[in-house]
Amino acid sequence: MKLKVILAILLGRAVRLVSRLVHRGGTDMPGRLALKLCPELLSVLAKDVKSVAITGTNGKTTSARMIEQAFSDLGLNYMANRSGANLISGVTTEFLMNATLSGRPRKDYAVIECDEAAAAGVFRQLKPRVVVVTNLFRDQLDRYGEVTHTLSNIRRALRDVPEAVLCLNADCSLTASLAGDLPNRIAWYGVNEGAVPSRPVPELSDATHCIRCQTAYEYRYVTYGHLGGFRCPKCGYARPTPDYAVTAVTAQRADGSELVLDARGQSYEARVNLPALYNVYNAAGAVAAVSEMGFAPEHAIRALASFRCGFGRMEQFGLGRAGARMMLVKNPAGCDQVLEFLQEIREPFVLVACLNDRAADGRDISWIWDAHFELLSQLGRRLERIVVSGDRAADLAVRVKYAGVPAERIREQRDYEALVRELENEELPIFLMPTYTAMLELRQAVIRKVGGSEFWE
Amino acid sequence: MELKICHMYPDVLNLYGDGGNIISLSRRLRWRGIGAEITKLPIGSSASLADFDLVFIGGGQDFEQQVLLEDLHRGKDREIRAAIADGLPFLTICGGYQMLGHYYETYDGKRCDFIGALDLYTKGSQRRMIGNYAFRCGEEAGGSVVVGFENHSGKTWLGRGVQPLGRVLAGFGNNGEDGTEGVHYKNVFGSYSHGPMLPKNPAFCDRLLSVALERKYGRCELEPLDDAAEIAAHDEMCARLGV
Repeated sequence: MKLKVILAILLGRAVRLVSRLVHRGGTDMPGRLALKLCPELLSVLAKDVKSVAITGTNGKTTSARMIEQAFSDLGLNYMANRSGANLISGVTTEFLMNATLSGRPRKDYAVIECDEAAAAGVFRQLKPRVVVVTNLFRDQLDRYGEVTHTLSNIRRALRDVPEAVLCLNADCSLTASLAGDLPNRIAWYGVNEGAVPSRPVPELSDATHCIRCQTAYEYRYVTYGHLGGFRCPKCGYARPTPDYAVTAVTAQRADGSELVLDARGQSYEARVNLPALYNVYNAAGAVAAVSEMGFAPEHAIRALASFRCGFGRMEQFGLGRAGARMMLVKNPAGCDQVLEFLQEIREPFVLVACLNDRAADGRDISWIWDAHFELLSQLGRRLERIVVSGDRAADLAVRVKYAGVPAERIREQRDYEALVRELENEELPIFLMPTYTAMLELRQAVIRKVGGSEFWE
Repeated sequence: MELKICHMYPDVLNLYGDGGNIISLSRRLRWRGIGAEITKLPIGSSASLADFDLVFIGGGQDFEQQVLLEDLHRGKDREIRAAIADGLPFLTICGGYQMLGHYYETYDGKRCDFIGALDLYTKGSQRRMIGNYAFRCGEEAGGSVVVGFENHSGKTWLGRGVQPLGRVLAGFGNNGEDGTEGVHYKNVFGSYSHGPMLPKNPAFCDRLLSVALERKYGRCELEPLDDAAEIAAHDEMCARLGV
């Protein structure tokens, strides 16, 4: 066993070295090969590391960055799978790069984001102290299947970690249902009634009927999507009272939000360094996670104001005269949040939307018809133009046409280099809205022109 | 002129972009100065299908299937059968398409009775039929080439009483074996094209609108539209699939 561990680590390191020599990330392959040699490698490497794991449909990376900032401010010796390699191979890569050759960890803590479908494999070996489940929305159907399928994947993963404290989004009826049959201690987080103006229950919801008895939910309020104060009139399944609750969002601006957060009875004012309501949820989840790891909530609260996400999550670039922001979209819920965010922009701007349909994006692009691109037509003249790009640019062009955007405002440009050249002289603020693999390529093209960090940095 | 369009079960049958079909129907009517009134008929509501000119039913998740079947068996099944016999145009996708058949039999042999409005049945298989695909509609359905995205493990088999909607050019279609795709019976069009079928297939969308308009108003000539964007997306997928 011991020899196998050493060989696996050596192999992983060697693969990483070669990857970097040829200017590749090497964030996944080293772990994948090392696991082939020693399938239980991660459990060996993770045994003495105190880990926080984050899973769920949306917000994993941002939540991880918030927690990481708190760990960094606390002076903790930690590692994190920052590159987005969040399958067991990527997680193992991170651990083997942070271990001695004999398999002893060089870090005390880890902040690990984990793909929903990979959670079962990862958690069993990682044995996290704290698990955050952010939310469950319909996502790449061809990859994950139905949302209830993803939910059972996560439930299965959690069965292997009965000792872990679960930080669950109380406002998501799907996520909250995880608590029902698990022995774990639960720390609930959520956004209270009245903290933000309530919306009507959306027509297209991923959770209309009670997960337990299939009766239609009643809502006291809705924050976004199917999140909010749900209650089943028949069986009584209802939103649990959060231990970490956002009680007021006092300001929502293009550069961030201000909020009041109640952490186990103590009230704090916080500033979140990223705009949009979904990041308010991410903030609450991060405060819960840091607190449940045994640190005072103040550390997490402070981190919210200073953390930087990068890597396509509201990431800023010095592109064009007024700058550019990149906002990764992966599914309708996330896309809607970005489209809502654009409603708040008061000045004219240019939007670039890139749609790919490669494996990591989801092969099925039907979801663009679930997202409310109609919001773009409400922008009127503030939407100077929309440039569609990516492998499925033509489908995106059809979508925005049917959303009511006038044809003369829609342009197609598939060549990222040419696109970046055009945008370099743009006077107006630029918003870039790519899917995952489009983000990787577009980001490269932007960085080549105006600078920025490689994805594994 | 105006079409009253019924979107049946939008609350549970709304899997992955099915709403795009409704957007497409209503836009293409309004661009021609024809009215479009969309009525959503969620579970538990009682409206008479006879009041509508066109009915759309999308695909759904397994999770809600029980809720749906209970609602259907409270009388909507009879109503749907009567409306079909009366020539009301339907577009039904994936789960909504299967639901019109006799039954669904899961891979491990459990049988779930559907409404038996059309002579077809579906059997679960272990292999998921998934991906971009294309088929050519039969002459009676307009003969156009339709591109879409299918994602189903159920294999549908047509009985003698119905026609396929088309022949598969690339992908799986009804069952991946007999080359048929979807169903066409009277004015009912059923398909596995759960990726919003109509936006990228304007010829088929217009065919459906014509059927509904002709039934309501007699002869109908649809004014041509500028479909350059739609055709570009359609042709690009055809090229990718090699059809």
